[in-house]
Amino acid sequence: MTTTRPHTDQRWSIAGMGAVASIGAGAGPLFDALCAGHGGLSPLRGFDADRFRLKNAFEIDDRPAGADLPGRATRWLCDVIAEAARDAGIGEDLSDVPVLIGTGLREHRSVELHWTDGADFPLSRTHFGAALRERFGAAITYTVNNACSASLHTLGLAADLIDGGVSDTVIVAGVDSITASMFGLMDRVQSPPVDRVRPFDRDRRGALMGDGAAAVVLRRGGPARAWLRAVALNCDAHNETAPDIGGVSAAIIDAHARAAVNPADIDLVFAHATGTLLNDEVEATALAKVFGRNGARPLVTGIKSMTGHTSGASGLMSLVAATEVLRTGRIPAIVGLDEPSEAARGLRLVTDPLAQADVALVQVDAFGFGGVNAVAIVERVNS
Amino acid sequence: MSDVVVTGVGVASPVLKDPGDLLGEPVEDARFDPAAELGRGVRYKDRATQLAMLAAGRALADASLLDPDLSRDLSVAGESAGVVASSNLGNVDTVCQTAESIASGSVTDLSPMALPNASSNIVASSIAVRFGIRGPNLMVCNGASSGLDAVRLGALLITARRAPRVVVVGVEPINDVVTSLVGRPAEELFDGAVAVVLESATVAGEARFHVRLSGYARCAEEAASVHRALGNGSLPGLWLTGQTAAAPAPFQDVPRRDLETALGKASGALGVLQVAAGARWLHDGGPAPVLATAGVPDDGVSSLVLTSCGAVAP
Repeated sequence: MTTTRPHTDQRWSIAGMGAVASIGAGAGPLFDALCAGHGGLSPLRGFDADRFRLKNAFEIDDRPAGADLPGRATRWLCDVIAEAARDAGIGEDLSDVPVLIGTGLREHRSVELHWTDGADFPLSRTHFGAALRERFGAAITYTVNNACSASLHTLGLAADLIDGGVSDTVIVAGVDSITASMFGLMDRVQSPPVDRVRPFDRDRRGALMGDGAAAVVLRRGGPARAWLRAVALNCDAHNETAPDIGGVSAAIIDAHARAAVNPADIDLVFAHATGTLLNDEVEATALAKVFGRNGARPLVTGIKSMTGHTSGASGLMSLVAATEVLRTGRIPAIVGLDEPSEAARGLRLVTDPLAQADVALVQVDAFGFGGVNAVAIVERVNS
Repeated sequence: MSDVVVTGVGVASPVLKDPGDLLGEPVEDARFDPAAELGRGVRYKDRATQLAMLAAGRALADASLLDPDLSRDLSVAGESAGVVASSNLGNVDTVCQTAESIASGSVTDLSPMALPNASSNIVASSIAVRFGIRGPNLMVCNGASSGLDAVRLGALLITARRAPRVVVVGVEPINDVVTSLVGRPAEELFDGAVAVVLESATVAGEARFHVRLSGYARCAEEAASVHRALGNGSLPGLWLTGQTAAAPAPFQDVPRRDLETALGKASGALGVLQVAAGARWLHDGGPAPVLATAGVPDDGVSSLVLTSCGAVAP
């Protein structure tokens, strides 16, 4: 729906942020770790490694050795929301603030532990409403289970709620803890050894999952860490797991139209870049198509070789990093990328961290199972 | 939200032959088979997905957006429609059984065909793939109020002009994992799907249903959610709510109906069942407005109001 509505001067304030992943806790420390090229890949902690072919994942190290515990995703979610609320200076009483959570796996890891190990976990905590009520008094809570682009979907809905006059402030969060079922099935369908994540590389072998959560406070007006200019949402309607160049391209084009920017205005793309054969091929082709046609050559980076694929949290994780890029001018590089694949060869891939880049507009991609695409545009706050 | 109208309803359940049964006495059809109704391409779909695809197709056909045999794509551009699905337990069988297979063996015991069903949004995305629906696609898993919240988010997609029409589906399946986790026998649970088509009043045209969404609120307490959703203090002509809820004094004489008494505990499908039933009630000339309430106090309670199209929105 690119033509239904003019979007010329629309913007929303990204007023506060929080994040946690295998490489660090807190939006600032996590971004520093990304710029330093730190990766969070380690031997499996929560799963019995003998039962998997994959031997590594990007887990948050918050459990006793050799054991898994329920409720971790909920805890990270509360932590990043508290951090974002603190950062925005709005306090922790969220009784009148809508909270939109994007997730791929909810608390399904806890449901698994209940099912296989008899862990104590009430089914009513599979989504996050009760926990957010308990911790923040929040009642206007929505758990949206939209695979790997979930948190950019909730970002778009949050902007819509503000536009619709429902609230001047909305909290958006993304969270996922690795489930045995998804990790196991990803293991089953990929060709081991996937011993590291190599986005856009000729020799990439696949994706590895990561634990993580991120949150932003979105507000109608400033002060802002950065401005959100648009979020485009669409669906390939093509295949349940494989992405589609047409759908991905349409989402990128729609995001530019909604933000009223040209491809040439985009300085940097935070790619979804999972490191799977198919995602990276499709995304690189779509980027080359949309930008190449206009002679635009934005920088392209991605963070999943450091954080792993944090599923529903990943889009907002990239958006938090993008906001830090706009604030600091530093750009994390794609770790693990040695020789770009043919489709990615024409892209201006960031292979060394940049310390002083002039970046004013960033595009953030997130694509999920089911062909659910979300593309956000964020802009630097000019003093 | 008052620009959003209901233009189609579809059901898919052994206990719902057609939408008229929503407010009647259900009779179980033991031969009901969603896969047979859908035909090709659903062999590896879980039951929740099959049910949801069938209900969505029927609602789209009811809104004249699809041929009655559900065989082809939409009669409108795929980009002009979205999907919002609601389910709490839709794929929990795949999640638990996969974890169990790994725990008792290894990943080599798994079937790769289970991968799509491990992602909860398989319900929403399968509807998009089947009918070529390329607008926004959401999977809402929000607990007891999830169905009403899905309708609300569907309306949001329309009022935010992301798509002028959205099919909203609520579904819950019965299987061994579900009965075990919920701790109730199958007889006490709803097995099925229900869908409503929401459209912007400006594109709805000569649709058969003329029912308007006129209010919604999600609050910590039921009383506040009812009050805020109704807005103008008018009394509903029908209140679709749980039997345990305490009626506020002015509501003592309002007819109440707990759909779960007849249909079973419906979890993420309940709110969409309520909206579909409310649309039928108004379509059949029942007094407006219809108030639907679902949720639990330690999470959140949502209320949604439906009026006849002729009525002035508050």
